[in-house]
Amino acid sequence: MTASPDKTKSPAIEVRDMEFCYGKSSALRDITLDMARNEVTAFIGPSGCGKSTLLRCFNRMNDFIPGAKVTRGGIWIDGIEIHSPSVDGVELRRRIGMVFQKSNPFPRSIYENVAYGPRILGEKRKSVLDGIVEKSLRGSALWDEVKDRLHESAYGLSGGQQQRLCIARTTAVDPAIILMDEPCSALDPIATARVEELILDLKRNYTIVIVTHNMQQAARVSDRTAFFYLGELVEYDATSKIFSNPTHSKTEDYISGRFG
Amino acid sequence: MQNSHIIRDFDQAIAALRAEVLGMAAKARFNLERAVQALLERNTELANAVIADDDDVDDAERKIDQLGLDLLVRYHPVATDLRLVISSMKISMNLERISDHATNIAKRAKKMAANQELPDATLIEPLYTLADHLLRDAISSYSDRNAELGASLHARDKELDRMYKAATATYGGRLEQSTGRSEDYLHLILVSRSLERVGDLATNIGEDAVFLDNARDLRHESNRSLEQGG
Repeated sequence: MTASPDKTKSPAIEVRDMEFCYGKSSALRDITLDMARNEVTAFIGPSGCGKSTLLRCFNRMNDFIPGAKVTRGGIWIDGIEIHSPSVDGVELRRRIGMVFQKSNPFPRSIYENVAYGPRILGEKRKSVLDGIVEKSLRGSALWDEVKDRLHESAYGLSGGQQQRLCIARTTAVDPAIILMDEPCSALDPIATARVEELILDLKRNYTIVIVTHNMQQAARVSDRTAFFYLGELVEYDATSKIFSNPTHSKTEDYISGRFG
Repeated sequence: MQNSHIIRDFDQAIAALRAEVLGMAAKARFNLERAVQALLERNTELANAVIADDDDVDDAERKIDQLGLDLLVRYHPVATDLRLVISSMKISMNLERISDHATNIAKRAKKMAANQELPDATLIEPLYTLADHLLRDAISSYSDRNAELGASLHARDKELDRMYKAATATYGGRLEQSTGRSEDYLHLILVSRSLERVGDLATNIGEDAVFLDNARDLRHESNRSLEQGG
């Protein structure tokens, strides 16, 4: 994709009047929001509200679901509408990495997990791959813990380390945006804190969108929070505003546990 | 009116905190009323009761802090719930200081009761009336979540300041002229000062009530409009 003329000022992701359907059933309606560069945006809302669906729209992961498509509006990343014919889905997913709820390392060594992406993209030089592996593992705050066992199986790592390895694997292909779908839901509080610290560190270089059910996590790590309900964006504002004085009563009811 | 919380204990904890603040406010206001009454009626027994009852207000302050801390630790409240906990803890601090002023007035009432009656003491009455109205409205602004009423106290407190200045000028003049009553006039100046401070503390409570109602921080602002960003 071509970069827009002034990358520093334009939003990283722009969603305009977007409607998304699974077959005939609409999962998201009238979604309009901008996500700023080098910020963490949190998506919150009850199960089934559409927040994960929206997240998966950004790297067109939903393309793999039959009948699922954007039926109105669109999504612009660096000024390019991501469904336009010039956009290649594979290249899009390289530029937009994703970290899932459950860590999913490949059944290979720690080193190979991180080197996998760059290798696929054609990098064969060992010295370059070594450099990428070290840089990515350092960037994911994992290097010191694994540098002496890089060639051991990734399955030997703890759950929290595996999740940070997945983040390292994502950053190894130099994405612009990282999407995270409940990245800490399977982790204990210490491992969660390490990943949260990593998220705050990563935003210096990446734009991050995180889906979370943990209100405190949204409050801790995000700059802006979007609250979704029944496929609609109810409120989108600075995180401190959402958690101290939300505008909509539905947002307040949800974040303060008065829902239903 | 908020919907019920999914966890019933949370609603009960919030209700208990609010009730404790309102109970403390009633005690502080009653102490102030009786302190001024003790001064005007030269009633030492009543003054002693005020001094003794200040302990209840101190206990209430500690209890409110504990309830607030428990709520923060157990439930991590957000939005209105969080603002209620913060404003309740701040309001209880102001109420404790109001009750301290009532105690100071009661102590001076005892000292003045030992001397001959001073007719000028009645000049205190209008100051007390206005200070009490400010306190009453400050408490209402918290209990009714009435930001408009809370924000109105700052301007009304200016009138109390003006009355305080007039009273101290009068008592100061008498102090210079009087023979043998200078200690009593000094007491009256300091009682006026306490009532003026009650007005300031009531204004603080009003500002906390505004924060509770709409998250606006009016402290130290020249523009006290309730409009966001005003």
